[in-house]
Amino acid sequence: MTTEIVLMWVALTCYVVATALFIFGVTFTKDTLVRRAVGASALGLVPQIAALAIRWVRVGHGPYIGYYEVTNGLVLFVVAVFVLVAWRNRRLSAVGVGIMPVAVLLLGGAMLAPKGGLPLTPNLASYWLFIHVAFANLAFAAFVASFGLAIAYIVRKRSANGTWARRLAKLPAQEVLSELTTRFVLAGFLFWGAMIVSGAIWANQAWGRYWGWDPIETWSLIVWVVYAIYLHLRFTRGWAGERLAWFAVIAMPVSLFALLGTPIVFNSIHGGYIGGKDG
Amino acid sequence: MIRRAVGRVIGFLRSTGFAIALLAFTGVWSMVATFVPQGDAYEPGVMAWAAAHPVAEKITGFLGLHQAFTAPVFRVAVVALALSTGLCAWRRTSVARARARSLRRAAMASAEDLIADHDLEIPCSRALSRSEAETRGAEALLRLGLRTKFDHGVLASVSPWWAVLGSPVFHWGLVALIVVVLAGGLVRSEGLMGIAVGETKRDAPESYRVLEAGPLHSWKRIDRSIRVDGFETDYQTGSIDRGPVPTVSVLDGKGQVITTQRVYPNNPLQVGSLTIHPAEFGFAAILTLLDKNGADLGSQTELIDISQETSSGTVPVEPLTLNDAGRQLVVAVTVPMERSGEGLAAPQERVAHVEVFTTDDVLVTDAMMAVGDELMLPSGSKLRLRDLTFYSRLNVVDDPSVPLLYAALAVALAGLAVVVFVRQQIVLGAYVEDGDRGTFLMRLRLWKNVPTNRAEIESELTKALNGQADEEDR
Repeated sequence: MTTEIVLMWVALTCYVVATALFIFGVTFTKDTLVRRAVGASALGLVPQIAALAIRWVRVGHGPYIGYYEVTNGLVLFVVAVFVLVAWRNRRLSAVGVGIMPVAVLLLGGAMLAPKGGLPLTPNLASYWLFIHVAFANLAFAAFVASFGLAIAYIVRKRSANGTWARRLAKLPAQEVLSELTTRFVLAGFLFWGAMIVSGAIWANQAWGRYWGWDPIETWSLIVWVVYAIYLHLRFTRGWAGERLAWFAVIAMPVSLFALLGTPIVFNSIHGGYIGGKDG
Repeated sequence: MIRRAVGRVIGFLRSTGFAIALLAFTGVWSMVATFVPQGDAYEPGVMAWAAAHPVAEKITGFLGLHQAFTAPVFRVAVVALALSTGLCAWRRTSVARARARSLRRAAMASAEDLIADHDLEIPCSRALSRSEAETRGAEALLRLGLRTKFDHGVLASVSPWWAVLGSPVFHWGLVALIVVVLAGGLVRSEGLMGIAVGETKRDAPESYRVLEAGPLHSWKRIDRSIRVDGFETDYQTGSIDRGPVPTVSVLDGKGQVITTQRVYPNNPLQVGSLTIHPAEFGFAAILTLLDKNGADLGSQTELIDISQETSSGTVPVEPLTLNDAGRQLVVAVTVPMERSGEGLAAPQERVAHVEVFTTDDVLVTDAMMAVGDELMLPSGSKLRLRDLTFYSRLNVVDDPSVPLLYAALAVALAGLAVVVFVRQQIVLGAYVEDGDRGTFLMRLRLWKNVPTNRAEIESELTKALNGQADEEDR
């Protein structure tokens, strides 16, 4: 087992510990555990970044190609964004109970995937790759943050003045959670749009067409449309509260499918980035 | 009556419910389309799917889901979405202009303006002087994330006037994008042009084997040629293997080279609205017909594709026809490839298998030929293999709409970035003397991205200014 893989297992262990601490901390209303959970999440970033840096040097490119690398990149951004949010506003720490399980499941899945380094294909060898992937990671991290906030909102709403409302009492008011969910959706919507735009410019450079209704392109548009509906419902139809939170919860897996599922399910000219068919 | 009907149509088109329905339709339609093979009815994938799903095929065929993104239903939805977005953008522009005016006025507001128009009145403790009240007010607002500046006796935290333009700019950007995409299809041309190394072809319809051109694409204004100068089978840049790479030149009408470069994925040749990418490559056999006396009767180039499905590993793109002393003959050239594992490799000593047929497909003669060899034809004339080289099939796109498309995308994203990151707020406060005690007047417009709300501001200022905060601290 190489240093890189050992470090990645250490990172995964940190995230698993963080998830467990979040669950226990929230369930038994122990703020100390929740704070330690944020610390464990932040700690996990160190070996993960180190592992990815070692890999970057070894394979000659960033975490862009193959299920293992792509998922790693996504998880890194998800955890980093969450840690940043919890560091800036400690009252939001408990939202980690909705976010860290997503990170653990994704990274756990990645650890089971083939980890051999794939070379850059001529189609992928472009500086646009970095820009495109960075925006995809940022967008997904924002969508997962909105997912975690929406989960917290729903759990507390359903509990009314019950047990879970007390357990999540340290979180900001419901209105603030709802507003934050929308702001993360908006940020994700912007970054996802930037991902589509950078992808279109890159596609024109690589293939001579900016849009080809390829399944992966189409699904990226579908995700944008789904979140556009969310924002219209919020800002023009006055949707708020639980049903809007449910929308954010359901929309996040759609973005996950667009990023990781579509190259596996569909034959696509883009498939090379996840180890599938590369046109 | 007409005006009322038009008003109703416009009202319907700009209704948010209609916009959401269109978005939902676009999303669901696209989703379904990714699970249905795309292409015309005769494509093998479509035919196989239709045979396997006879019931679903009736619906997909009726709706046009096999060509989902050019189907009339989808096009109508996109046009409706553009109209809806345009009307929505218009309405948002009106709101944004009004708010921008408010922001400009607020940026210059004085204490007298606040006395005339305010939303909150917070009585101040008698113990507080004017400067203390103003300092405490500023500190309280800062605790809520509102950094103020003090000017003309007014505490102000006012967004720039353009902060409210993000949403309309984003929507206008989307409208422009849809219009450019639709209009771009009318002027765009895209085609595949096979050119042998050393050969030059005019950029004209007859030079393309496959061509799609919009009805407004003008060939008359185009006076240029494309030449393939060289071909490298294994080109490397740094550690990256770029594969087979042609060097391509674009020439003007007088034959002067405008530009020359190697073209490979992510490195297209671009001249104005023209973009050239390499699509495929193969061999090119240049054949010269010689009469009985050895006089040159002219040369033709036969393009040969690499194909896994034939025994030789190659197949002619299009057999040549030649006139052998009044008799039409068909010439098909292949280049025997070496099998290497699952792939094909060009042989070290390249030879061509030249077959000559009658127009009824009867073999007249054939031979394995190296460059310079000659093949005797029935009339006594000869066919010489003058050269055996590579050809590059270039994807040639002429699309003047691309810069406009990028501009529309940039405008849309810039607008969206303003929506996401820039606050839209007017927070003005002024201390005014009111008998023996002062009052803090506030004007608040908290539109978007504001880190607090009216209730919090009122509560925090009350605590800071009327002494309750001091009591709580004690």
